[in-house]
Amino acid sequence: MAEQLLMATFILLVLAVLINLARLWSPIIWLDSAAPLPMYLAAALLLVILAWRTAEAGRLPLANMYEFSVFMVLIILLGYFLIRRVLQAPEFDLAVSLLLTMLFAMLASLPSDLRPLMPALQSRWLSAHVATAILAYSAFAIAFCLGIIYLIRTSREDASLKEIDRQIYRMVVWGFALLTLVIITGAVWAEEVWGNWWSWDPKETWSLVTWVVYAAYLHARRTRGWRGRRSAWLVVIGFLVVLFTLYGVSILLPGLHSYA
Amino acid sequence: MPDKQKVGYRNLVSWLSSMKFAVYLLILVGAVSALGTIIPQGQPPAFYLRTYGDGIGTVINFLSLNDLYHIWWFYALMLILGAAIMVCSLQRLRHARSLITVGSLVFHLAIVVILAGAVWSLGYSRSAMVDLAEQQTVALADYGLGSGQLTLNSFAIDYYPDLQPRQYTSDIGLTGYEQRNYYQTINVNNPLRAGNLKIYQSNWGWMLKIRLTTNDSTQVLDVKDYDVFPLGSGENHAIRVVFLPDYAEDEHGAFSRTSQPNHPYLGLSLLQSGRVVDMALLAPGEEVQMGQSSFTFEDFSYYSGLQIKYDPGVNLVFAGFVLLLLGLLGRYWHLFFMREGD
Repeated sequence: MAEQLLMATFILLVLAVLINLARLWSPIIWLDSAAPLPMYLAAALLLVILAWRTAEAGRLPLANMYEFSVFMVLIILLGYFLIRRVLQAPEFDLAVSLLLTMLFAMLASLPSDLRPLMPALQSRWLSAHVATAILAYSAFAIAFCLGIIYLIRTSREDASLKEIDRQIYRMVVWGFALLTLVIITGAVWAEEVWGNWWSWDPKETWSLVTWVVYAAYLHARRTRGWRGRRSAWLVVIGFLVVLFTLYGVSILLPGLHSYA
Repeated sequence: MPDKQKVGYRNLVSWLSSMKFAVYLLILVGAVSALGTIIPQGQPPAFYLRTYGDGIGTVINFLSLNDLYHIWWFYALMLILGAAIMVCSLQRLRHARSLITVGSLVFHLAIVVILAGAVWSLGYSRSAMVDLAEQQTVALADYGLGSGQLTLNSFAIDYYPDLQPRQYTSDIGLTGYEQRNYYQTINVNNPLRAGNLKIYQSNWGWMLKIRLTTNDSTQVLDVKDYDVFPLGSGENHAIRVVFLPDYAEDEHGAFSRTSQPNHPYLGLSLLQSGRVVDMALLAPGEEVQMGQSSFTFEDFSYYSGLQIKYDPGVNLVFAGFVLLLLGLLGRYWHLFFMREGD
């Protein structure tokens, strides 16, 4: 049952990509209103998938990279709906649907078997750590897509740039605050399990690197030469660092976080 | 000092106490930290010469990049960063009037507090791993951890229906530590806390009781699973024990089906100068003659691996965490909770 729902979600995301591509080629009115529909449906299906998984497992789906990724796709969708209320841009719709399609294709290769939580993973702090990570990285994902739109549009001296920049800033502030919480809850949990709140594990270290990148963005905004294009580049690079922290580290650098 | 030098000096001080310098330093710390995940840590110098060639390998060894999170210059970098943030913050102290400016100040000072806590821990924390059999008591003083006695009353493993471990629990008592007694059942996420001392459920294993009879003398040994126990017979004899709680055999040999003691057997090897000269497989109560002695597999029980850690700095670090969050809340209150926040 879950596999069919996942496949359906993936098809909906691909459909969204195709509709948004078509919109950019020929501005047909009904395509504009059709664009968000597959995304709404995908979000609904993801809710069902996650609710099903919660019921099956007897706990929230926060225990491995597969569950994390599915949950993150849903939260990114929710963030996308929020931004759409203040900003209408077909490139943004395309960017988000493309990103989600790629994330979804990737998570299909992650092990999804339902296993009971090992002793070390049974902690409220861990649940908080994973939940805030999903929220933080989703915020950065939205900022990333907005950053790309900003960079595309600066060549045209668009009037919307100021608003896009403002939304990027909002997303990064939320993401940064949440990422701070991720690091803190992770540290408190680590201290509770292993007696050490920081051990320079690759995942820990890269989450700190991610934190530094966005801290640099927040500081750079106060410097004249860094507003606009350069800031947008920072949020684009920042999300690449997020992706490395999330997936690159697990695949390329083994360590304590081998649960993920 | 001539005026030009004065101006130059003042410019340097001004640069070192600027936000730009602190941010560059922060980025540098980030970059160096990332480097430590790409260059494998903890390998001997020869490894780096082999893997990266003579040029880069020599640089790595010279800069101790194989242990960069603990090398003096990394600590120095962090200290300078802390100092830079402190200086910047103190400069803005008198401008801290609104929620935004106070929030920012608190956030940045929190980082300094966290670093201070980390340094305190670095200098003064102590840790020891202790394997205790049930009913065994150890003195903390033996590990340099202060006064008091630690007793393991019992250890248990709770299993899921599919026989994966659900939780490891130790019922422990810490008596006479700083004039207080502590009794708690700890598990993997719930250590015992006694002031700055914490006791963590870290590990576990099997403890085997073996009766050794040589000529007319009898000894009862407590040997840990996989341990080699020297027999002191003057002939360099030792025994190695391997416990199979749920013994079974297939074409590849002996193994344990599960980790639960459903069908316990003890694999006993007699070693002479490190080499196996005799072997036996014993059920509980069984006796075997090997070499000059007879061995009886008396009993098996758990031992619990506990980590005892004294850390005076961690509470300061956690206080820093709280301040960090409060600072964020104040700095971005308008953005979080108000429509027109920016």
